[in-house]
Amino acid sequence: MTWWEVLVQQTINGLTRGAVFALIALGYTMVYGIIELINFAHGDVFMLGLFISLAWFALLGVTGALTGWQLVTVLPLVFVLTMLTTAALNVAIDRVAYRPLRRSSRLAPLITAIGVSFMLENVALLWKGPAPIAYPDVFPSVDILREWFGVDSAIFFTTKDVFVIVVTIPLMIALTYFVRRTRWGKAMRATAQDRETAQAMGINVERTILVTFLVGGALAGAAGLIQGMYYNIGMWWMGYQAGLRAFTAAVLGGIGSMGGAALGGLVIGFLSAWSDQYISARWTNAIVFSILIVVLVFRPRGLLGERTPDKA
Amino acid sequence: MKRLGPAALVVALLAYPFVDRAVGLHTVHAVSDGMIYMLLALGLNIVVGYAGLLDLGYAAFFAIGAYAMGLLNSPVLGSPLYGHAWSFWVCIWIAAAVSALLGLVIGAPTLRVRGDYLAIITLGFGEIIPVAIRNLGDVTIEIGGWRPIERLNLTGGENGVNPVGRPYLPGVPFETDPMPWYFLILVIGALSIWAMSRLRDSRLGRAWMAIREDETAADCTGVNPISTKLLAFALGASFSGFAGSVYAAKLQAITPGAFEFQVSIMLLCMVVLGGAGSLRGVVLGAMLITIFDRVILSQTTFLVRAIGRATGVSALTAVDLTLWRWFFFGLGLVLVMLLRPQGLAGRRVRPVAGGDADDETAVPEPSAPPRLAAVPEWLRTRAAGVDASGAVLEVRGVTKSFGGVVALNQVDLAVPRGAIIGLIGPNGAGKTTFFNVVTGLVRPDAGHITFGGGSLVGLRPNAIVARGIARTFQSIRLFAHMSVLDNVLVGEHCRLESSVAGAVVRPPSVVAEERRARERARSLLAFVGLADKEEDLARNLPYGDQRRLEIARALATEPRLLLLDEPTAGMNPRETEALTELIGLLRRELTLSILLIEHDMEVVMGISDRISVLDYGTRIAEGTPAEIQRHPRVIEAYLGTGYEAEAAGRSGPR
Repeated sequence: MTWWEVLVQQTINGLTRGAVFALIALGYTMVYGIIELINFAHGDVFMLGLFISLAWFALLGVTGALTGWQLVTVLPLVFVLTMLTTAALNVAIDRVAYRPLRRSSRLAPLITAIGVSFMLENVALLWKGPAPIAYPDVFPSVDILREWFGVDSAIFFTTKDVFVIVVTIPLMIALTYFVRRTRWGKAMRATAQDRETAQAMGINVERTILVTFLVGGALAGAAGLIQGMYYNIGMWWMGYQAGLRAFTAAVLGGIGSMGGAALGGLVIGFLSAWSDQYISARWTNAIVFSILIVVLVFRPRGLLGERTPDKA
Repeated sequence: MKRLGPAALVVALLAYPFVDRAVGLHTVHAVSDGMIYMLLALGLNIVVGYAGLLDLGYAAFFAIGAYAMGLLNSPVLGSPLYGHAWSFWVCIWIAAAVSALLGLVIGAPTLRVRGDYLAIITLGFGEIIPVAIRNLGDVTIEIGGWRPIERLNLTGGENGVNPVGRPYLPGVPFETDPMPWYFLILVIGALSIWAMSRLRDSRLGRAWMAIREDETAADCTGVNPISTKLLAFALGASFSGFAGSVYAAKLQAITPGAFEFQVSIMLLCMVVLGGAGSLRGVVLGAMLITIFDRVILSQTTFLVRAIGRATGVSALTAVDLTLWRWFFFGLGLVLVMLLRPQGLAGRRVRPVAGGDADDETAVPEPSAPPRLAAVPEWLRTRAAGVDASGAVLEVRGVTKSFGGVVALNQVDLAVPRGAIIGLIGPNGAGKTTFFNVVTGLVRPDAGHITFGGGSLVGLRPNAIVARGIARTFQSIRLFAHMSVLDNVLVGEHCRLESSVAGAVVRPPSVVAEERRARERARSLLAFVGLADKEEDLARNLPYGDQRRLEIARALATEPRLLLLDEPTAGMNPRETEALTELIGLLRRELTLSILLIEHDMEVVMGISDRISVLDYGTRIAEGTPAEIQRHPRVIEAYLGTGYEAEAAGRSGPR
């Protein structure tokens, strides 16, 4: 491989990674925007999304690659089922662990979020065992450059990469439409700005928060499914890692900002892929966290975040 | 009886290992390990419980302590820096110092961020440290083919450090017997608890709690949030340095896996379960969790399996509850937060009825206005020595805008010594912003502020308090979960001098200073009519008392200028009258200068020497009360045309 082939390859890897981070980061940023909580359990909802989608595939009898019409029937069905399941899970978490603490100190729900995160990880551990689990190769992988275009290149760009992008972008467009154009989206934006005033204007704040958790959970589920299909492996501890990187992405982009989360996800995706290649995979985590710390200290608003003065 | 309990505890702790040996339980090792974690939890309690800073990466300090010991006291790593196997007794202090230093390093960047962002930064450090330890076991630096450093083993990498040297004391068998370890850890633990309880009850401990309760109010009461928080990080870390170094020497081996995120969370569980901020609670929490983890989970597993075998249910025979360990820790965190957020041993507090100024507490039984004692003698002597000429505060052309809104526009104002200056104007006129600019909470865009000849612009609020300006807040900002007396003592913070070492050792000078501080605080409480309530929590006081407590706290900083932001808001007429009298008394007896924001026109017009009127950030009038009442622009903007008629009646515009 020449140096530029390596760079292109790692950039493609970064793009797909970043797309998954972005989907998770959106859940963080939406919840933070609306109730100012770092939903620590969100990464584990993503992890369970992978496990749950696996269960849905198994239930539908899918064990190998999907073909032809299955790609347009079974696959969307599993997407919907997985997203519904994780959405419901996310709402349940809010009901049990966060909602009773809405009026208490800000650290209380953060601590329960960590507690929930540990519980979810332990559930996955007991469900699937401590070893990494294999995820069936449900999506046909075709080396596009070589097989469709006949180009003899060391760059490995497959239909799976295309799939990740083709699924992620419409999801983000749909989300943007939902937040900008619908009644619920307007309620969410109003509640994020000022919960009390929104309430006074007749917005059902609790229901708006519920919708936020619903949407965030659904996106995490979709991310889990994509992750499983792309990498064909799942671990019970992956939620913590992915969650922290996605949170870093959300902070980097400007927490509370949707576009920021998407942008931050991509940036973290690229940086981690390049770091794996050019520095060392062993140091990637340290590098990502260093970025997080530097951003929080010097530019807590992130790249696209708005200035929010301390309410003194 | 009161002395019997502690004595029995000491006897039990001393006798335990001998009983253990006699009975043949062999639990001393496990108990000693548990005590190390207890010490860690106590260190974390300083950061989380006292200073209120959520630290999710505390295991990093544990790691630093352990590796400081491991690297300095191990013969295996052939690096030029270490590998000489220093003495344990030296290393333990180095470990504590290095941990404290790291506490400062980690603390420094976190000072700019608050709350949950800070938690995430500590989490980040908690992740970076184990990664660094793993990777620094094999360092090669290559610059264009030249390798200045090749395969250098700095930390032992994934395999860790093994063996780590043991402590040496003549005649004490640290090699073969768990008992010396038990006593060593017991001594370190007891000394730590002793030091922590003294810190808690010192000037520094009060400052930590004030920061925890309300950082802005603490800053405006003379507590430097930066140094106070850094000290919390550094001292909290130093205890984990001790714990880590003893841990390394006891285990004789350390691996990076022992310092992961889960350890930080387990320690946090101990603190939160027992009750953050309570030494007894943290000890209890650490004991419960250690027993649960080491005894109950495994023993219950045996029990369930036995039941399974006896009843023939095969599912039960294969159960391993220890796999549920983290599930139970997570569940524990959730349940404690939901059911008993103050922890098992925490002080139970009455729930506050929602709302503020105008709820039930604001209209209490028509109590007799508090009897005011005389102005405390010490304040009078303190005030006497000050030069009596010229303006105390001089503000020239101060401008401040937020976005497009000009909150203050070229405002001038002077407060002569011993004068009461009223500041009035409609809501949103910029009065409170003016206070915030003078006290350093908000930095002006332009203009000069001088106080006693020196400029105040750019100074931190606590530095301005030290120069002699104190304030109260429009929405009362007391340290809600501290006692009434402690609230006033925080006010004295910037006039006290005891250091960290002084707080722990308590030499006679510190004891005397503390006694004097308490006497002064009590006399101030008597002055504002709260003498019998010093042990109450501030949040449990009725509304009027809270207002007066805030004034007492401000006076405790020994101000030369007092800024009062709507001091009579929400008070009944009799309380208002008493407070007006108190303000007059301060001026007469102490020649204290007072700047007063007030909507009660009877009060303002009655006691002010001069009045300034703000409207939309601009000063529209300045003069004596009589001039202001006739001023056409003031009547138009604020008082209203009916004022003159109404003034003959009772109340002003509210």
